[in-house]
Amino acid sequence: MKRKVLLVDDSTTVLMMEKMILAKGPFDVVTARDGVEAVNKARTEQPDVILLDVMMPNLDGLSACAAIRTDLATAHIPIIMVTTRGEEQNIETAFRNGCTDYVTKPINGLELLTKLQNILGTPAA
Amino acid sequence: MKHNAGQRPYIDKVANDTNEYMQSLLEENHRLSQLVAEMSQKESLLQERLVAIENESRTYSARYVEVEQQNTNLANLYVATYQLHGTLNRESVLAAIKEIVINLIGSEELAVWELDDATGSLQLVDSFGLDEVLWDRVGLGVGVIGGSAQSGERFVRGESALAPTPGERSLMAVIPLKLDERVIGVIGIFSLLRQKAGFEAVDFELFDLLSSHAASALFCTRMFERVLTAV
Repeated sequence: MKRKVLLVDDSTTVLMMEKMILAKGPFDVVTARDGVEAVNKARTEQPDVILLDVMMPNLDGLSACAAIRTDLATAHIPIIMVTTRGEEQNIETAFRNGCTDYVTKPINGLELLTKLQNILGTPAA
Repeated sequence: MKHNAGQRPYIDKVANDTNEYMQSLLEENHRLSQLVAEMSQKESLLQERLVAIENESRTYSARYVEVEQQNTNLANLYVATYQLHGTLNRESVLAAIKEIVINLIGSEELAVWELDDATGSLQLVDSFGLDEVLWDRVGLGVGVIGGSAQSGERFVRGESALAPTPGERSLMAVIPLKLDERVIGVIGIFSLLRQKAGFEAVDFELFDLLSSHAASALFCTRMFERVLTAV
């Protein structure tokens, strides 16, 4: 059974990279380019997991994460933050805002697939 | 102990039965011993097979990690090429170069200079995370950046004999942008993201790719602008 993944990033390079990594697995991919679109698509698409960038226009990833968590319709969806900054404080803020896990850029394909597998409970690729 | 003569046959029978029973027990014991020996031998074989399977599994796991890494590397190179050549818009090409350095190589301090033939110096055309005024212009042959533009040689910290100037102390790499063998500019990569310990094999492939493909992509946008202006 295919799992739906919402990819959120304002960078076309990152979205393309993520799509290529997920292309091998049983995933349906939907995308959003900023935090506001991410919150809306989380509600309408009901993905199985969200990959959420931190630095984005309109609404940053940390705020979008908090918004998704406080909405009853989306509160249950696991969120993996994709962050450029691996600093402890940044990660702590992400977890405080409700993220399930995180990966740092540059994205490592195997690490991402493993984390997806851990969250979704099925072989990711 | 004395027995009645009448009991003798019974005692003999019991003794005989006991002997037979003991004999059968000894035979059974022998059979079971053989069985145990066979089982032990099978267990040893199975243990050996298990070790072999575990080794095989470890080899496959290592190979899987290797293949996944190669897939990611190939995806990096494909995405970079696609982004650089997906447009004739100058701003988009410069944005693609920045995105490649930030997201695929892993640095949030970078600059792109183009060679200004009129002044013989490098003119900053785009940057991220750096003081633009400080790096606006770099003389050809000046420091590692200007030196790389002059010689066409790539600079990578720790690999190159060139010594960065005090102003270039956080410089990690300089990639000359080359059309054929002519340098038309350079990309300077300063400090790496905290979680990135150093450059990996794929980064060097990305350097090679940027060196030729970013150069040709930038050159094409300039030509396209000229064509548009002429039309």
